[in-house]
Amino acid sequence: MSNNDVSDLSQCPIVIRGLRKTFLDFWRRPTVEAVKGLDLTVRRGEVYGFLGPNGSGKSTTIKMILGLLRPTAGTIRVLGEAPDSVKAKRKIGYLPEISHLHPFLTPRETLMYYADLFGMPKREAKRRVAELIDMVDLAAAADRAVGGFSKGMARRVGVAQALINAPELLILDEPTSGLDPIGTREVKDLVRMLAQGGVTVLMTSHLLADVEDVCDRVAIVSHGVLQAEGTIGELLRQPDVVRFGVEGLDDESAAKLREMIERHVGHPVAQDYPAISLEAFFLQVVAKEGKTREFKLAPYLERSDK
Amino acid sequence: MRAVWAIARTTFIEAIQQPVAFLMYLFSVALTLLVPVFQFHRFSEDGRLARDSGLSCMLVFGMALAVCTAGRSVSKEIADGTAASVLGKPVPRPVFVCSKWLGCALVTAMFCLGQLAALMIAERASAHYVLREDFNGYATDPISLILALGGLGLALLAGAARHFFGRHRFGASVFFGVLYSQVAVLLFSGFYNRLGQFYPVHGEAACCEHHAAGEAAHALFYHPELNLRVIPAALLVFFGLLVFAALGTALSTRMRTGTVLAVCAGVLFTGLAGDTLFNGSSLLSFRGAVSGVLPDLQNFWLCDAIAHGGRISPGYVWLAGGYALTVCTVFLLAGCMAFQNRDVG
Repeated sequence: MSNNDVSDLSQCPIVIRGLRKTFLDFWRRPTVEAVKGLDLTVRRGEVYGFLGPNGSGKSTTIKMILGLLRPTAGTIRVLGEAPDSVKAKRKIGYLPEISHLHPFLTPRETLMYYADLFGMPKREAKRRVAELIDMVDLAAAADRAVGGFSKGMARRVGVAQALINAPELLILDEPTSGLDPIGTREVKDLVRMLAQGGVTVLMTSHLLADVEDVCDRVAIVSHGVLQAEGTIGELLRQPDVVRFGVEGLDDESAAKLREMIERHVGHPVAQDYPAISLEAFFLQVVAKEGKTREFKLAPYLERSDK
Repeated sequence: MRAVWAIARTTFIEAIQQPVAFLMYLFSVALTLLVPVFQFHRFSEDGRLARDSGLSCMLVFGMALAVCTAGRSVSKEIADGTAASVLGKPVPRPVFVCSKWLGCALVTAMFCLGQLAALMIAERASAHYVLREDFNGYATDPISLILALGGLGLALLAGAARHFFGRHRFGASVFFGVLYSQVAVLLFSGFYNRLGQFYPVHGEAACCEHHAAGEAAHALFYHPELNLRVIPAALLVFFGLLVFAALGTALSTRMRTGTVLAVCAGVLFTGLAGDTLFNGSSLLSFRGAVSGVLPDLQNFWLCDAIAHGGRISPGYVWLAGGYALTVCTVFLLAGCMAFQNRDVG
């Protein structure tokens, strides 16, 4: 099911071929082979889900894409450059699996710090920081040290820092980790809105529902090997199963219909009453209490001159 | 350059927040100020004892502070993933290493400035022989000593108050509080002599080097009785600490803080005992090779040169500064090479 047949690879933000990573011990003896000959192509403007169980090599691959880990073999091109290229990193936003923040800095200082790493002019940096703080709903805590933050609040700061440079390519490692359902919904809205604006997103998540909601294509890796890749529709479609959704049908009519179909196919068919997801129900409940807000992208992320 | 300054500044802020950093600073300054209090043997060397103790504290505590700062800001950040967040941005690895060193150098500079002020106060407060018509004998300066020690307490109180009322960072407030208090006392001590006579009131008559009692008091408003010859010696120690900060930063790219501290302590010992350990050894021998690799710390420890009115020439300070810069460059280059291919994250 490999989907790496792209006509112009130079246009793809991430192209990985034959990637291997073997970790070595102090005496340079191999300990773990985390990635075993991975081929991957992420197309411009798509939201690409990178899935796999713990220890499957997802985070290792992401760190190699960012030049943090050196591959044992294989090639990686990120935005047409080598992984540790400063030129490429200017266009990349990265949210690590755990938001490692300097505990004594406030969110405002943290974001200014990351803006400085991009060499952003002070005035522009201040404007972006203010907009991001509003976007991630941290205005009330903007001047408190992040060391005292909950995991969810720290995650919001992490999300904001990944967007400070208005990236072309956004790499999110477990973006919804530690977030409540409202925060999770906002991150998913954020990813969708950025993708609509042309940003390419590569994300990993253990929460498959999150991936299903936002990703155009997904890859599943296990033991460092690509096991499946394709669009959500391609991967999840059951070609020999048909489901009807009918509103306003009473039980008697439903039973008659089922009998008719069973006679036609020659075996029993399942009949159920679809439910909304727990996440949707939760959001409906808290919305009634007025605890949700309409998520809005930071204005500078929407502007064409970003 | 923005990235360099941002990383260095954050390293500095993080470092001075660490309890171990300001405790080391407090302890070093307090120990220096307490030397004159516990002086029992007066062979007209009390001032020298205070000065040498202060410089020793500057070297030993400064080395521990520089190396711990380097270890925490490099080794720990690599281990916990903070470095990965930074290196995921457009920051080349050599820039990261050099910026970390710059942050450590800032912490060291602040430490040395406060420690220098404290040791100058301690030297002034030590017993000096004063010969005047109205006073003949050893005189200490308890006023400066009380003010300087009180300044430490005030720094702690001010830090707590700033944290309580304004949510300001306690560690940073105390760190700067110690520095400001010692410099303020040092400057204020120019208004009075060791006998506690204020120049604005007593004029030139209060000047210990001159004048008998009752002599007409000419206009003399400010007269610091400080040994300014200690400044070049302290500057040399600061250069030595910059070398340790560079060594600590370089080693921290591959080692844990405890190991780095042990290695640096070994370098301090062998560097100071270099004359004994390596004297006369051929460059081709093991001892010669070791002496060639290790920085010669004797170049930065010139306490004896300022004893008995001696001076360190500006030319020597420049030369030592050049030597320190060269050694720092070599260590940082080695650190950059060691870090270049290291897995981070």
